[in-house]
Amino acid sequence: MKPFQYVTAATPAGAPELLGDNGCYLAGGNDLLGLMKEYIVEPAVLVNIKALPGLDKIESDSDHWTLGANVTVAQLEEHEGLKVDLPALHQAAREVGSLQIRNVATVGGNLAQHSRCWYYRHRDVACLKKGGDTCFARHGENRYHSLFTGNNCISPVVSNLSVAFAALDATVVVQRRGSAVRMSIADLYAKAWDNPTAHHSLNPGDLILRIEIPRQSLRSAYRQISEKAAFDWALVSCAAAGRLSNGQISRGRVALGVVAPVPYQVPEANEMLEGHLLDEALAARVADRLLRGAVPFADNGYKVPLARALIQRTLLALRA
Amino acid sequence: MPTWPKETVHINKRTRRVDGPAKVTGAAKYSSDVQPEGWLYGMILRSRWPAAKITRIGLDQARRVPGIKAAILVRDGERTVRYYGEELAAVAGTTKQACLDALRAIEVDAMPMPFVVKEEDARNPNSPRVWEAAANLSSPRVIERGEVDKAFGESAAVVEGSFATSVQLHHALETHGNTVSWTDEGVTAWASTQGIFSVRDGLADNLKIEQSKVRVISDYMGGGFGAKFGPGIEGALAARLSQAAKAPVKLMLTRFDEALAVGNRPSSFQKIKLGSTADGQLLAFELESYGTAGIGSGGSTEGGGGGAEFPAPYIYRVPNIRVKQSGVVINAGSARAFRAPGHPPASFGMESILDELAVKLKMDPVELRLKNDPSPIRQREYAIGRERFGWQDQYKPPGSTPGPVKTGVGCAGATWGGGGQGTRAEAQINPDGSVEIRCGTQDLGTGIRTVIAVIAADILGLEPGQIQVRIGDTRFPPSGGSGGSTTTASVSPAIYDTCHKALKALEDQTGVADARGDQWKSACRKLGINPLVVSGEWVAGLSSSGAGGVQFAAVRVDTETGVVAVKKITCVQDCGLVMNKLTCESQINGGILLGIGYALFEQRVMDRATGVVLNPNFETYKVPGFGDVPEIDIVLLDMPERGVIGVGEPVTIPTAAAIANAVANALGARINRLPITPAKVLAALGRTKPGLA
Amino acid sequence: MNESSSRNPDVPGFSRRHFLKSLGSTAVATAATQVETVAQELAQANAEKAAGPEAVPITLQVNGRELKLELEPRVTLLDALRNHSPYTGAKEICDRGTCGGCTVLWDGRPVYACMKLAVEAQGHAITTVEGLATGSKLSPVQQAFIDTDALMCGYCTPGFVLSVTSLLQRNPHPNAEEVKHACAGNVCRCGTYPRILQAALKAAGGTVTSKMEVIRYANLA
Repeated sequence: MKPFQYVTAATPAGAPELLGDNGCYLAGGNDLLGLMKEYIVEPAVLVNIKALPGLDKIESDSDHWTLGANVTVAQLEEHEGLKVDLPALHQAAREVGSLQIRNVATVGGNLAQHSRCWYYRHRDVACLKKGGDTCFARHGENRYHSLFTGNNCISPVVSNLSVAFAALDATVVVQRRGSAVRMSIADLYAKAWDNPTAHHSLNPGDLILRIEIPRQSLRSAYRQISEKAAFDWALVSCAAAGRLSNGQISRGRVALGVVAPVPYQVPEANEMLEGHLLDEALAARVADRLLRGAVPFADNGYKVPLARALIQRTLLALRA
Repeated sequence: MPTWPKETVHINKRTRRVDGPAKVTGAAKYSSDVQPEGWLYGMILRSRWPAAKITRIGLDQARRVPGIKAAILVRDGERTVRYYGEELAAVAGTTKQACLDALRAIEVDAMPMPFVVKEEDARNPNSPRVWEAAANLSSPRVIERGEVDKAFGESAAVVEGSFATSVQLHHALETHGNTVSWTDEGVTAWASTQGIFSVRDGLADNLKIEQSKVRVISDYMGGGFGAKFGPGIEGALAARLSQAAKAPVKLMLTRFDEALAVGNRPSSFQKIKLGSTADGQLLAFELESYGTAGIGSGGSTEGGGGGAEFPAPYIYRVPNIRVKQSGVVINAGSARAFRAPGHPPASFGMESILDELAVKLKMDPVELRLKNDPSPIRQREYAIGRERFGWQDQYKPPGSTPGPVKTGVGCAGATWGGGGQGTRAEAQINPDGSVEIRCGTQDLGTGIRTVIAVIAADILGLEPGQIQVRIGDTRFPPSGGSGGSTTTASVSPAIYDTCHKALKALEDQTGVADARGDQWKSACRKLGINPLVVSGEWVAGLSSSGAGGVQFAAVRVDTETGVVAVKKITCVQDCGLVMNKLTCESQINGGILLGIGYALFEQRVMDRATGVVLNPNFETYKVPGFGDVPEIDIVLLDMPERGVIGVGEPVTIPTAAAIANAVANALGARINRLPITPAKVLAALGRTKPGLA
Repeated sequence: MNESSSRNPDVPGFSRRHFLKSLGSTAVATAATQVETVAQELAQANAEKAAGPEAVPITLQVNGRELKLELEPRVTLLDALRNHSPYTGAKEICDRGTCGGCTVLWDGRPVYACMKLAVEAQGHAITTVEGLATGSKLSPVQQAFIDTDALMCGYCTPGFVLSVTSLLQRNPHPNAEEVKHACAGNVCRCGTYPRILQAALKAAGGTVTSKMEVIRYANLA
């Protein structure tokens, strides 16, 4: 790492000023320190945001769950109420990294993490996402890369939590230039769809404050497939949510992770889940619709059948 | 002729590791832990180019970084680098941070050259040459026996297939490296090594000093798997930095470095043809293969080196064969011997084609092996294993189990040499009855330290806890490097001899007829003031070579997601006389786990466009984790009549082959390239449409 | 805040000072006397807390003892332990939070020391493997590792011992799945996983037997 100043922010309002013109927020540190050790980001100031008051609580009322941005992924995993009410979130949290990572990783940091593409993460490769000319994955080693993208970078979003939040209609509250801005998960990642150098839609200085999840009496489920049994990035992940009544699903959502720069949802696929019997045939049709238009590269075509199976299983898990 | 005692107290039993307490408390000091007075941190600058002419390396700016005490070049003058990661220069400083800053301040003028990093590209005569003077693809080494074409003509059944294995990285958890102090008195190196004398030798040679002025210490070391012989470039650099800085220098490699420059298992690309009679007698075998050992390594694989060749048709008896093996060089780090060099790829290809033949003949795969495996020991092992594993019940026609999650079973056999000789040792018996055994061997986690205590205890009539075992120092009597599964067979007879001689000397000197057990303390008191020091050496009759081993694997394959889960491995293994069953079982577990990694997860990925290693970390070079461990069932064939043989390597050879066969049995389709990933499974099942190039 | 202002209402600027203090800033007195708005006070207070980039005094609590060091902010907790203190039990294996060799307990929870800065470890109780034994008496987990041979080269052992120790503190009777979930972040290359599972179950009070069968070849028919 390059040398830097380390300062602890006392209030959210005061935090952005401390960044200067080359600063980064330090939450759990798993992502940021890893990037810094490879000199992929080189901030002159690290602003520790873990002491910000009130951002580390999990709270609920009759309408919403509110997760402070500094809530750790371990806290999410261990929360009994969340496990019952939002199982998709619990299951997604459980699969994040390892226990050592979950003990320090924050919800905000998990959402804001940078791409894990091995070209992006390589200290000596000047790829498109880092401002270079070429996405090396396109004609190179792309087994872990996107099936859908709106730009020339094919690195996918890997945050487990983002996929669960997407299916749960979560709102991310971000402090931007002194005001609280509300973003859907789609908003949070929209810039990454269009812009090859973006990992999400946050601007420098933006500070995630909390995530709000409406309580809609939904069932939910999260599943992922990885090469290893644990502590491995997902090849594809999926979150589904919906209300079930007499086997009929309504308010259905399906979101896919690690296939696009955003948690991937298709409105038509969600609409297919409105007012129909949730059975194998419906799940298969939804999977087909969601995967329509997938553009596999040389090595990631397997993600299509894999995602198809995963979507079906995750949807049908709602029946349990 | 010496023999091991028939009745033993500790030998051939289960003895806890004598270094257990040191390891579980953090008291064990590895070469990365030692902190000699005034020690400095060392770091290496590596080439960012896969191939380049380096015309100038400027160290001035680096020397000016605060805290830096020395900066040196690997070699003066212009040079050509041939792989991403090749060593260029090194610095030593008071902190890690000073070194990091210094490396970034080193100026390198380089003229990048064309390069090639994929084997299939490098074979092409039009590809850039790694070495100017020679084609990338070597002429094949050809071995022929009998009349193979005629024999194919006479075969009732012929099967053909292509198989491939990936480059595997050792990734011992302690990285390569040394803490070295080079003063006027000489060199002391705390080395993470499998061969302290190989490090001593290498340093003396490289630094042009007398061997008697070089002392190497390796009290504890964090794994080697074959990659840690000799001082390496990093060892010599640490010494030279120490001399320049006038302080000890600790230079440990990073995990990133480990993926680039300190060894690997060569890949293999195999085309095999196999012919047999109608009842499964093998008649004809033809193999054409190539693989890469990076920019090249010494010699062939079968003797234990790092080349791309391997034994074929491995363990099976085939009267007519034609084997053509080549190596192809690429711009990547050189291969080094890696736990059973050559045998895992040999096993994978041979056992896969054998199962293909079994399917064609509608013959049970175990029966086919029993028919063609000449080893009486492995014959027994198959018989024991098939019953214990429940083979009859579990083996079904390929792809026939119902449902999307299919089950399958497979098996494979192994052979290895082992054996070993040449160790010397020393016993010191003190007047207070305490005993010290000194031997210049090294314990990589194999448990030799405990074996020494066990043998000494049995011969002297004491408890292992009463024996102070000192190893890992070139000031002690010499032993060989710990490789080839030779350590226990080389060291044990020497300890036997040393302790017998020591006991006899004690009894002669003190006049006590039998000093063992209860008599020990009073006998020792009769020594007076001076301890008794007695040497001994390896003697014949207590060890031999040649181990077998068979493994059975049961897998579950999810045909919708492609995920393979190994449910069970049954291993039937012989290794002669087992000195310590507790640590032997751990070695077997370890070999099987390494085989699982080879089968399902591990692959060094080179990038064609940039020439870099894309996965120089544990994130995307995937080693098996806790959740990837199957049920492991071990049957140890105890053969004390054969003496000590060694077990470290045979146990990792057949695992991947057995798993691959089990997957093929489950699916009715074969994945013929390792590692077997979900991507490959789905492709083999025809579920994946080819993507954009 | 209201209660505190009642404690000493005569001190000028007290309630504001206490307000600032409750937000974590310590260099309050100077700020309160020199600047006008709360935001400016905060900014100044925070700026006065900035550390580095040069080395700064850092006090760590390791195994119940104080460790006083002078380190740049970019020094990780692992670097501080291994290279600036005698606590070499935590190992540097990957330095990227992927293998668990550097696991330490941070207020009782396992974390990767390589992915925490020493400067942020201040004020937290750090436990390394050296802090588990009482004198020469090994902890039950440590003894269980030895009894079941849950170690080979030993390089991953400190990390695993801490992960298992922490697990049993949270969950005294885990099942096998829970042990695997707790230890998923620790890697072993020698292959000790099966025995570590046994060690964890044994330390939790279970009994464990070796299933390895030994057959005398000479006895075979």
